[in-house]
Amino acid sequence: MHQQALCALLEKIINEVLALNVNGLGALLPLEQKTLTVLLAELTFPLSFSVDQQQILVTSLTERSDCQLTSSIASLIALKKEQQITELIKQDKLELNGDMKVAQQFAALFENLAIDWQSELAVHIGDIPTYKLSQFSLWLGEKVKFAAKQIPADASEWLVHEKRLVVTRSQISSFNQQVTSIADEVLSLQARIEQLAEKLTTTPSTTKI
Amino acid sequence: MSSPEQPSLSNQQSADSEKTTHFGYQTVDKGEKESKVAGVFHSVAAQYDVMNDLMSFGIHRLWKRFTIDASGVRPGNKVLDLAGGTGDLTAKFSKLVGREGKVILADINSSMLNVGRDKLRDKGLVQNIEYVQANAQYLPFEDNTFDVITIAFGLRNVTDKDMALRSMYRVLKPGGRLLVLEFSKPEHDIINKVYDFYSFNILPKIGDIVAKDGESYQYLAESIRMHPDQETLKSMMDDAGFEQTSYKNLTDGVVALHKGYKF
Repeated sequence: MHQQALCALLEKIINEVLALNVNGLGALLPLEQKTLTVLLAELTFPLSFSVDQQQILVTSLTERSDCQLTSSIASLIALKKEQQITELIKQDKLELNGDMKVAQQFAALFENLAIDWQSELAVHIGDIPTYKLSQFSLWLGEKVKFAAKQIPADASEWLVHEKRLVVTRSQISSFNQQVTSIADEVLSLQARIEQLAEKLTTTPSTTKI
Repeated sequence: MSSPEQPSLSNQQSADSEKTTHFGYQTVDKGEKESKVAGVFHSVAAQYDVMNDLMSFGIHRLWKRFTIDASGVRPGNKVLDLAGGTGDLTAKFSKLVGREGKVILADINSSMLNVGRDKLRDKGLVQNIEYVQANAQYLPFEDNTFDVITIAFGLRNVTDKDMALRSMYRVLKPGGRLLVLEFSKPEHDIINKVYDFYSFNILPKIGDIVAKDGESYQYLAESIRMHPDQETLKSMMDDAGFEQTSYKNLTDGVVALHKGYKF
């Protein structure tokens, strides 16, 4: 019954959000009695969105669909850019059956959502906390924006300049090899000197004075 | 002991004889059951929705959604919501069949019907719903009238279930489907034991506190145990003439949705 739970949750969220739309529920009028069915690759069941009397019903019924859209969540996100539709269809990432206008009207409904969050929040927590919270969110937004710009800039700076100065793993490895090789040579030289020194001390002197 | 002793099979069979039937664990005359069941529902009607949410922890809403999803209902269809009570299924069907369709909310109990009518009118659902006080055994509709018939948590209260199923078959259109959502037998023993304990020890207490009527909820628990199990109900539907009958257990079989077609 997880699919019924998901449908119930989606229905609740969608209708709550639509009720907050400052443009009113007029946008639903052209969709009255229309149904869009979405078949997502990630889900094993369909999701049907039907409009009735300024409400959206979410079910798993497929019998009353005006338009059926088969896709994946990633492709649906890419659909935000309208010009992507044809490309996604060509790439077999999106399949549309039925009245395409219904899908476009549903998309337009959510694109044109305008919610006055401050007024809604003020009803619950009061004007001053809402003002403070909105100021804080503005400040936080600016910080995030700045960070979003600064972090890539710093990263590219580091990649272009600083990274060149950093010793690479292969350089360290090559250096280690050289050190080992010199150490070996020093050891063999030491052995040779020791041999010569020994010879000098053990061999009697043949030099006549 | 978690549950009162259930009558033996022979008692059940004798209870289902021509003159008598069961009312919970009691054996009563067939004529008497109707008025006793009516008494239960007159008593609980006002608190019915609250009690449903409390008793099932809200899961009854998902069971009903499952029924809607299995109905295959289309705009313009004619739906009969039998024993529709406070109209949960009717409300959804009303939206799904649209203006061209029609939903009949039928219940034998006037109190339940009144609560349902008030609730749906308060929701603004008026244009395609009709209310009929009717006994499921003698449905006051012409043959081949409905595309979909549902009976949710109602069949176990019907005096003669076979007769009710035949009556439903008669009023269903060829190609139409019947959906019976009803309490059933849990698939696992452990669930059965927990369910028994809950039904006979906790449920009547909740009923006593919330609806001020523990006895009605004791009846509810007993009537669930006396209701035919999944396979028996399926064969009863077959006997009534339904084809391609099947059932789906929900919540481990605490509830089952039976489906059958008329061709």
